[in-house]
Amino acid sequence: MAKVAVVGAGMTKFVRRAQETGPELSWQAAKMALDSAGLTLKDVDAVVIGSAPDAFDGVHMKGEYLAEGAGAWRKPCIRGFVGGGTGVFSPIQGWYHVASGQFDTVLVVCEEKMSSCHPHPQGAFITIFDHITERPLGPNLLWIFALEMNRYMTVHGITKEEIALVAVKNKKNALDHPCSQLGAELTVQDILDSEVLAWPVNRLDVSPASDGAAAIVMCAEHVAKRVSDKPVWVEGVGWHLDTAYWTNRDLYYPRYVEYAARMAYEMAGIKEPRKEIHIVEPYDPFDYKELHHLEGLLLCDRGQAARLTADGVTQRDGDLPVCPSGGLLGVGNPIAAAGLMKVCELFWQLRGEAGKRQVPGTPRRGLAQAWGDLMQVGTVVILGR
Amino acid sequence: MREKLTNPDHVRTWPGTIPVEHVYTVGVAGEAFLRAIKERGRLVAVGCPGCGTDYLPPRLYCERCFEKTGEVREVEARGTVDTFTVAHRDLEGHPLEKPQVYAFVRIDGTGGGLVHRLGEVDPDDVHIGMEVQAVFLPPAQRTGSILDIVNFKPAE
Repeated sequence: MAKVAVVGAGMTKFVRRAQETGPELSWQAAKMALDSAGLTLKDVDAVVIGSAPDAFDGVHMKGEYLAEGAGAWRKPCIRGFVGGGTGVFSPIQGWYHVASGQFDTVLVVCEEKMSSCHPHPQGAFITIFDHITERPLGPNLLWIFALEMNRYMTVHGITKEEIALVAVKNKKNALDHPCSQLGAELTVQDILDSEVLAWPVNRLDVSPASDGAAAIVMCAEHVAKRVSDKPVWVEGVGWHLDTAYWTNRDLYYPRYVEYAARMAYEMAGIKEPRKEIHIVEPYDPFDYKELHHLEGLLLCDRGQAARLTADGVTQRDGDLPVCPSGGLLGVGNPIAAAGLMKVCELFWQLRGEAGKRQVPGTPRRGLAQAWGDLMQVGTVVILGR
Repeated sequence: MREKLTNPDHVRTWPGTIPVEHVYTVGVAGEAFLRAIKERGRLVAVGCPGCGTDYLPPRLYCERCFEKTGEVREVEARGTVDTFTVAHRDLEGHPLEKPQVYAFVRIDGTGGGLVHRLGEVDPDDVHIGMEVQAVFLPPAQRTGSILDIVNFKPAE
């Protein structure tokens, strides 16, 4: 397969409620990505749009709705959707558009406008659960994830204090992100003192609902060498779906993330991920999910991610910086855009363009991961320079 | 599998809905468009400084070349019937008391147009190419909606 590069990235601010429409947000991010690569819409051969449930924006056929702002006028265009995993799946779709040899330059745009959804996007989430066994109970994502968090904590003997360190770290990192919604200097006690939503999940354990968009430009090697002196290469991609039957899997470990990661590591020729991955942007809609995913990504032993965090290994200046962007907990969580924001962060970090967020040293390879659907999809992208 | 199941009570069912409502921002370009209608009883259009494409309703950006569009300009709320239909049934399929004409109206001096109702005209007299003008609600009744335009009617 042909080599694929990322040559540009852009994103909007992530905010609770944007005045801009979804297509307007998409245009801001897409235009910034093209400008950063010194390209125009004429250079784009095809467009990939990523956006999670139509119910958030309140527009059916959201891909068609967003297309004009995503640069898809008179171009081949596809909208991908794997729930929360979408933001890292869209660059995978962009990758195979180019790797196949069909297109030289592809614009990948992810958008979410969750503020449209009233009284709260939870209303849309209710109907993703099983109609017979779960929906009559009125499930919402907070207590569903609380079940997973409790299982994870109990199996490994991890405390809420240890998990809260993730929220403290990511919200602090986000203070250095010009697009962040919830950057803050907080203590573990602040997290523990925030209101209990569904034990063991407190308000500050959770990312916010957000509006925003992000975009990247992907292209073939011959184009990358012409338009960029610092292309970042897609070294590996992986995606995987586990069963939606809760009763048939153990929530304490995200096997679907492991399989997606193994696929990406194999493609990248990575034998020892703990040595060969230098920065990580795992999906962190809840603080415990960062730990859960680091384990699924095989970047530490099961149950050991909390120790890495406590030891400072995952700080921006640690041995394995995790969510140097500030993550979903700090930058914000416009679902699909949040995932692609992580890929943008790798692009900026690997090029040494992350400003105040720049991790020390010269990271050569980074991994972004997202997760979603009914907590059973894993998507992974590895970029390197 | 039961085919032609006309009474849902014959199998075990339960009623449900997706319990969300939506509040849509009209956006940057939409704000300029609806303010002009509400505050001045006017339409506004915008051109692309890059490729010249003209938009009514206005857009924040040009979808064809991605340039940011310029300042909106006011235009006469008049145009030409580009195509039309005459609706005889409502959404539930019930006959309408009076057939309703819906037209796509190209707005003069712009690159765009609006789908809207036609009024003050017998459906049999409507034809493609017919010149029409917008009828606005009195200023005090306007809410900043496309329905501040009551309909289009034959041009005076």
